[in-house]
Amino acid sequence: MKIIKNLTIGVGVALTSQLALAADSGFTMATVNPEADRMALQNYFKKRFPEAEVQDYINGIYAVDADSRAQWEEIEEFPPYEFAVEEGETLFNTPFANGKGYADCFENDGIGIRQNFPYWNKEEGTVKTLEMEINECREANGEEPLKWGKGDIAKISAYMAWTSRDQVFNIDIPSDDPRAKAAYLDGKKFFYAKRGQLNLSCANCHVQGTNIRIRADLPSPQLGHVTHFPVFRSKWGELGTLHRRYSGCHKDSRSKPLKPQAERFRNLEYFQTYMSNGLVVNGPGARK
Amino acid sequence: MKKTLIAAAAALTLLPGFAAAESFDEAFLKNRAMYGKGHVFEWQGNQYLTLHEEEVEADVAATADNAKMMIDKARAKNKEVAELGFEWKLTGDILKSAEAALAEGDYRKALDLAAQAKYHARIGIQQHEYAQSNWHLSVPQ
Repeated sequence: MKIIKNLTIGVGVALTSQLALAADSGFTMATVNPEADRMALQNYFKKRFPEAEVQDYINGIYAVDADSRAQWEEIEEFPPYEFAVEEGETLFNTPFANGKGYADCFENDGIGIRQNFPYWNKEEGTVKTLEMEINECREANGEEPLKWGKGDIAKISAYMAWTSRDQVFNIDIPSDDPRAKAAYLDGKKFFYAKRGQLNLSCANCHVQGTNIRIRADLPSPQLGHVTHFPVFRSKWGELGTLHRRYSGCHKDSRSKPLKPQAERFRNLEYFQTYMSNGLVVNGPGARK
Repeated sequence: MKKTLIAAAAALTLLPGFAAAESFDEAFLKNRAMYGKGHVFEWQGNQYLTLHEEEVEADVAATADNAKMMIDKARAKNKEVAELGFEWKLTGDILKSAEAALAEGDYRKALDLAAQAKYHARIGIQQHEYAQSNWHLSVPQ
């Protein structure tokens, strides 16, 4: 009888500790595991949309909704971002007043490097994005920074993405600097926290709500979200950056957005891009 | 008098939803959604009004001083929620409209708009508190 009682207590303690672990898996600095998060997200979408190939998620909603895909493929026959890419190339290759250019600021002269952004900068203790470094390049060479959301910065970024097409994202979270993992966790928390008057998280629309109609729109999947930025949105009639889209999403849920390139937006981009590791760059893209 | 007291009690809202078939919050929110503000509803044998605490707070004489005080409180509360990163989109414009109404001498309108802005900010703070302990619930495992 005593053995049964002890066994019961032992099993109870073991189960309780397992439940406690399960309830806290991946949500603190001690337990967060980016690779497990990435696999869990992929598995989630594999179950939701078994017909869709993981590699096709770079195409957003067009990976999972056939009707939308048919329309998009027609748009892609004459890509609306084509002229902007050409303008971006011209801007990229136009020297600054001091004779230097963007190529002097980036590795490999800025060609084919989009897949390396964003990255954790240990010296500065922060996440660096491509657009951030484009403007830092300008300022370091005596030029005024560009506005973040659209216009020239989106065109230059689009050209750089264009030269990086088919390169594989492999965002690193260096294990020798816990601040990098903290930034990732902050981005993850931001993505899953409800905010705004409509009480919506990013995940409500882009994980659970993927391909479920919100009025006339079908929200895209979180997997592959960042691979095609900057994008030419039909609604905008022009190119825009990822952080412009973040602002729009916030406004749609009646939340006051942060400023583009704010630290938490960059952490969000860090988390989201890590989720797309293994997928290829296909920016710039065309979206509704 | 009794009604005012009950309204004040209702406005304090957020009573702990202990083992009841329907918590006070649920009853309040349901009645508010169905009947709007100022509706009398019954919960566990007592009567309450569907007023938010800010609406009770704004139910004072429509004077410039009261309107300004309410706007100041709303602005302070909105600053608090903004620092948490959970400010709502429309609150800033509502506050501007409240300021405009005050400047035009429409003190009742200014009080009501400031109450609405303060309510937005208070619920944004609640949303932040909820997010701290529940954000993980929709993470795929």
